[in-house]
Amino acid sequence: MMYSYIKPRKKSVFTPEVKLVVTFFSITIFMLLSTYSFLLYKDYSYKNDIALSVDKKNELDIEITDIKEQIRRIESQKVVAHKIYTQNSVLKESIQNLFDLVPQRITLSKAELLDNGLILYGITPNKDVYNFMLQAPLRSIFHKTYSSFYPAGNGWIRFVSTNYMKPKKKEILNDED
Amino acid sequence: MKINVSRQSVYLLALSIFLLIFVFVFSFAILIPEGKEYRKQRMQLRKESIELREYNDFRDETFHMLKNLQSENRHIIMAFDNTFKVEKFQQKYKEYFSALKLTKLSKIKDENDFSLYEVNSTSKIDSPVSFYNFLEALNKSNWIISIEFPINFTRENDLISSSFTMKVHKINKMVKPKE
Repeated sequence: MMYSYIKPRKKSVFTPEVKLVVTFFSITIFMLLSTYSFLLYKDYSYKNDIALSVDKKNELDIEITDIKEQIRRIESQKVVAHKIYTQNSVLKESIQNLFDLVPQRITLSKAELLDNGLILYGITPNKDVYNFMLQAPLRSIFHKTYSSFYPAGNGWIRFVSTNYMKPKKKEILNDED
Repeated sequence: MKINVSRQSVYLLALSIFLLIFVFVFSFAILIPEGKEYRKQRMQLRKESIELREYNDFRDETFHMLKNLQSENRHIIMAFDNTFKVEKFQQKYKEYFSALKLTKLSKIKDENDFSLYEVNSTSKIDSPVSFYNFLEALNKSNWIISIEFPINFTRENDLISSSFTMKVHKINKMVKPKE
């Protein structure tokens, strides 16, 4: 027995409404998942970049420390070299001054330049020449001056002039250390 | 009054609510914290990039300073690095002396970055001027040399015999800078 004149339609779960809702949510979920994937990827990428940056910074730090050490060493070499150059120049001036100090009439036979003194051996025509022309300027330079004389044999006088300076305060302190 | 709601509509409503809850939970529990983390990492990277640039600039500046120092003090650096050779020294400075004899170089001590060597010298000069010239030339030599006290000058006929000690300063090999 037939109740209807039309053939029964196949019923589906996916009605247009369901399709609409599923499509809407599919798009939404797809967008959310895409955003999440993007964030995860960027997060990973940033973390990698930060790690690289930190490594590079550490490398640079080591390099900078090394360069600074080289600079320090060159500065130290420069200071020592200039100190030595100055010391040599001062020494040259001192020796030049010493020989300029000796008058024509006095002949030196030996000169000993010490750290804090000077010992001169020589001959002088007489004591006065020595006293006025050599001892006087030596007295003005050195703190202690001792002279001893003995005859040379030809009427001239041999002398030994020993001159000392007081050690500088710094040297005394170094000795105490 | 009876509300006639079809079963299909109920299913549809349930599905919608479920998906809506999923979207909200996903957004608030996962996506937003991840977004915050992303912003935090981005800020951190920007900060690191700025610091890295500053490090790079500072390194370049320091390196430039080093190169300048090296070029300005090339002679001093080479002089500290050169090994003192007695024969070479005698060959170079014999013009200032009538005779020049040097003892063997001996190491005295290590002082911070430097090693200190000592060499005793006996020489004959025809006038003190030769010695002044020698001292002047010493400051332009291939080694860093200082003349130390005591210095003795003794007259020997027409010549002056001199004896003095030279200290040769050399950079300590243990702490030699990298090239």
